[in-house]
Amino acid sequence: MPNHSSTYQPEPGQGVRSAAEEKMMSVGDDKKAKGWLGSEQRRLLIQEYGIFLAFLILVAVLSVSNEFFLTAGNISNVLLQTSINGVLAIGMTFVILTRGIDLSVGSVVALAGIVSASFVTSSATAGISGAPYPVALGIGIGLLVGIACGAVSGLIVSRFSVPAFVATLGMLSAARGLTLIYGGGRPVPALTPAFRWIGTGDVFGIPAPVIILAIVFAVSWWILNRTRFGRYIYAVGGNPHAARTSGINITRIQFVVYVISGGLAGFAGMLLSARTGSALPQAGIAYELDAIAAVVIGGTSLSGGVGRVTGTLIGALIIGVMNNGLDLMGIQSYYQQVLKGALIVGAVMLDQKRNYGA
Amino acid sequence: MKRWMIALASATALLASSAMAQEKIKIGAAPYGLNAEFMQIWAAALQEHPAVKSGEVELTVFDGRYDALVQQDQFKTMVTQKYNAIIFAPIDVDAGAAAVQSAADAGIPVIGSNTRVNSDLLTSYVGSDDTISGYLEAKTVLDKIGCKGNVVILEGPVGQSAQISRLEGNKKALAECPDVKVLEDQTANWSRAEAQTLMENWLTAHPKQINGVIGQNDEMALGAIEAIKAAGLDVKSFAIAGIDGITDALHAVKAGEMTSILQDARAQAQGALDLAIFNARKGDYKPQSDIWTTYKDMPWNDGKEKIYNVPWTPVTAENVDQLLATRK
Repeated sequence: MPNHSSTYQPEPGQGVRSAAEEKMMSVGDDKKAKGWLGSEQRRLLIQEYGIFLAFLILVAVLSVSNEFFLTAGNISNVLLQTSINGVLAIGMTFVILTRGIDLSVGSVVALAGIVSASFVTSSATAGISGAPYPVALGIGIGLLVGIACGAVSGLIVSRFSVPAFVATLGMLSAARGLTLIYGGGRPVPALTPAFRWIGTGDVFGIPAPVIILAIVFAVSWWILNRTRFGRYIYAVGGNPHAARTSGINITRIQFVVYVISGGLAGFAGMLLSARTGSALPQAGIAYELDAIAAVVIGGTSLSGGVGRVTGTLIGALIIGVMNNGLDLMGIQSYYQQVLKGALIVGAVMLDQKRNYGA
Repeated sequence: MKRWMIALASATALLASSAMAQEKIKIGAAPYGLNAEFMQIWAAALQEHPAVKSGEVELTVFDGRYDALVQQDQFKTMVTQKYNAIIFAPIDVDAGAAAVQSAADAGIPVIGSNTRVNSDLLTSYVGSDDTISGYLEAKTVLDKIGCKGNVVILEGPVGQSAQISRLEGNKKALAECPDVKVLEDQTANWSRAEAQTLMENWLTAHPKQINGVIGQNDEMALGAIEAIKAAGLDVKSFAIAGIDGITDALHAVKAGEMTSILQDARAQAQGALDLAIFNARKGDYKPQSDIWTTYKDMPWNDGKEKIYNVPWTPVTAENVDQLLATRK
């Protein structure tokens, strides 16, 4: 059995432990924790490089088998196509690290997408009165919608102790229904060029969604690896009881991770509608599955406490690169689904082997 | 005293309404799902039918939620509640047959609309022949590229009746242009976002080679347009076609970016409702919808036909404003 209290580890290469980390380390079985340290860190290195190695192999194979794969235009495409799932998966990482799950992100994508779109459409019939409003307002409202959905899920999970699976399953259904109610089931077209910039614009040739993904990643990495809040997230997921006894406000941590996931899902919804040019009520269906897949492929454990956001980013890139590469080679999308399935299960099997077989 | 008055008033109202309901014809409509624009126009058209507005018919619309089993259960409900006729747009060609059977066993006429069902027990069917639309859209693309060059096809979910028939039509048109090569041919599941990703990747895999895009519905054609724009290419240098005539596509046609073929949801819905009332009344009924005068090619024929084919309307620069005016 993995020792949960000791499975929390800083990013490899990180410097001196803080007092809080020391406290966390001492929560578990001290005798075991000392012995685990070296092998655990080695294991984490394998984990880190394992997924990175898999990614490099995939890129190498695709580069050899298709002349267009490694062109600047295609690299930009892959990053663009990964951006939405990447943002969702990073939010999902926060939740899964606390032993939770957020099944509602696909529906929140649609809800935030359509509500924000109704503020930034130049269509005379689809928007709310007075639209289009300034882009900042549309984006602010989309974010608020996402945050509100996350807050409701978070509240239900943290305060009422409803299993995350159930609470977010409820939100999956409710948010989709609200999307259909809000837009009368119709799409909101004709989004203003200023709003569409977040999905279609670029800075020095780098697509805006890719820059947004990079910022989301950097901030999340910083939160998870450099802040007390981040350490608490690992602690809560690793061993909730120990975390509680050491004085961490579990309820608050659990609440906030769903707010983060909801907010990022709201943002992803706006990226999607900005990219397609129209907010569709049926957008984002099953997106939660790709987000969870990226997190799992990236080595984050569904039992909480173990994993890194870097892995998630690589997991999302693996999915994106695979879909893109198979499209380039003209392989039917059915095979893509089979491969993705194998990849998810394979990644977790490796994970289990690491945890139990080492 | 006051309470008595209210009780009395509501009792009278109840009696009156139940007496009225007995004279009314009860018709149930079972569309496969109400999440997309096409079926919403379809359902709204039912509510706007003269016989519904006048109160002659009591109409209930059941959302099939894209699930054959849900639809089957809804049929059970309608049979138990003794509906006089049912309008049916099944999610699946074969899975819908069992539902039709259960209604036929109870002696309730079932009128098909929009999507087909493999059943001889269907009283009548009002829909549009997808092989024709598939042929027409491919033809506009091939005409525009002068019957030579390369095209890609964005297909619907493989196995759905519309995908099968539209592909059949696509292939028929392609057979007339042997010099045209189909570079890619994949499903994007009717989805704009999926088609956009696919087209982005195809534009990379076949740089400067794709001349035409045959989208089996408008959503996917619109996704291809976004991909072309994102790649910094000129949309107007491509021949792009879709089917259905959804609002976004009408705008794109107006902008000269694509062509579309309107599938008349309103005619399919109101035609089916007229036939449902006709059969519920055992022939004692004259159709009330204006669609029978609009489409001279689809005569009423005393409601006797097994299949009513609603003609397709190609969306052109000339009629697009008029069509947009109907979308409020």
